[in-house]
Amino acid sequence: MLILENIKKTFYGAFEPVLKNINLKLLEHDFCVIIGANGSGKSTLLKTIVGDYPLDGGRIMINRYDMTKKDRSHLIAQVVQDVNKGTVPEMTLLENMVLSRLRGYRKTFSCYDKYQDQILNELKEIDIGLEQFIHYRLQHLSGGQRQMIATIMSINSQAKLLLLDEHTSALDPKMQRILMDYTANAIKKRGLTTLMITHKLDDAIRYGNRLIMLHKGQIVLDVTGEKKATMTITELLDLFHQYEDIGLISKDAHDS
Amino acid sequence: MTVDLFLTGILQGLILSILAYGIMIPFRLLNFPDLTAEGSYPLGGALCATALSYGISPVFALLIALVGSGLLGIATSLVYLRLGVNTLLAGIILSTMTYSLNLRIMAKPNIALFDTVTIFSDLDCINNIMVLTGIILAIQIPFTWFLKTELGLSLRAVGLNADFAKKQGICVSSYTQLGLFLGSALAGLAGALTVQLNQYMDISIGVGIVIHALAALMIGEVVLGTQSMFRQLSAPLLGSLLYQQLQGLVLSIGLEPSDLKLFTGITVLAVISIKKLNQRI
Repeated sequence: MLILENIKKTFYGAFEPVLKNINLKLLEHDFCVIIGANGSGKSTLLKTIVGDYPLDGGRIMINRYDMTKKDRSHLIAQVVQDVNKGTVPEMTLLENMVLSRLRGYRKTFSCYDKYQDQILNELKEIDIGLEQFIHYRLQHLSGGQRQMIATIMSINSQAKLLLLDEHTSALDPKMQRILMDYTANAIKKRGLTTLMITHKLDDAIRYGNRLIMLHKGQIVLDVTGEKKATMTITELLDLFHQYEDIGLISKDAHDS
Repeated sequence: MTVDLFLTGILQGLILSILAYGIMIPFRLLNFPDLTAEGSYPLGGALCATALSYGISPVFALLIALVGSGLLGIATSLVYLRLGVNTLLAGIILSTMTYSLNLRIMAKPNIALFDTVTIFSDLDCINNIMVLTGIILAIQIPFTWFLKTELGLSLRAVGLNADFAKKQGICVSSYTQLGLFLGSALAGLAGALTVQLNQYMDISIGVGIVIHALAALMIGEVVLGTQSMFRQLSAPLLGSLLYQQLQGLVLSIGLEPSDLKLFTGITVLAVISIKKLNQRI
């Protein structure tokens, strides 16, 4: 589904590369969780995949096609941390949902009201009461509701590859749980291939069939299948500290 | 006398509302501050006057003006999209170039059309108001409907959140071109109507015209608000009618016509201040 080969990225003016030779191969329906400290290159990796940043080297293949130099935004759905980026706050819930539904289709001269019943039904299925806000502008809804809507929109779009960049992190714990459960169920139902960044190690344990850890622009841990399923949070925490503490010590030593 | 002044104000307000509508499309719907109207308004006038002087029918002359000045809007959008020139600057560059172009089209700085048949009648002001109202409805009803379609929704999305629109597979540049074409075409139509109403075209009719239209648009927005699409789309018409009467009022209490540009500027700033004060509350 998604193959990354020797991905390299250095920001102009920076001394060290942000991504050093990332190699990753995701199979169809894979749900891969990415963890790593701040500055390890997680977000940069996702932005490189979607095409926001050009590559310095390497290759990106999607569905066996080399998409390195091609516009691939239509193949990839994305939810980012900032709730304003994934929606149009000035438009109503209906209008936002219609836009994501029309993704990849030719727009016509027919009125978009005709989707209202379908969208109402979809919202009712999710069962958190969003259907009552169908004619509300999103700016009048809470951050949690908006992020929920942004996620629903991304998952419902036709793209088969989903990238989540800490999409629950701005929400309260209860809403985080609701959104994360919805996301995991919907991914399964739709058979999406997913890459998810999270800072919450318990989420990293609970969700997905594969877990990778980035450290200084490299993949330092890659567990999958049985090993991922049986991993405990203590083990993961130990591994996390192993890399990050080494980083701290060597940095301290260097400073002194 | 006063009734006459009032009716003339209505007539000019109606024409101004077409221009204000044309300005609203890029400014409010596309979030693209665009000064092309400064060029497309006189371009519409020049095309229409020249066409009329060649004996082309007045309705067809309006269509020529509409399409011709619409193309100027596309030119502005291309300068912005392809060369990355700032939106305001792109409009200024294009409208400056249009000044020379207009002189070429007209072959002289002004054209008198006093003997020419136009869509307006010389004597019957009410009839003229009806004609203009018809034209305005013929613009506003289809456009309001358009915004309710999938295409119109995409156009609005481009203006509100271009990055998001792009991620939804919407071609941002085509919609920018479409919006600027429409806006500029309406500005040109307003110029052409002005020429037919006055039966006279002068090369300098567009000077400062964008600020006039902007003042009208903003007055409408302050009075009606912009909470709903319907209010936003009605703002140019109401604002233009009010603004034109306001102009008539200050002229009748002794302001010189040459003071009007100062008055317009003050009006714009006053409206902006009112908006700002409202925001704080």
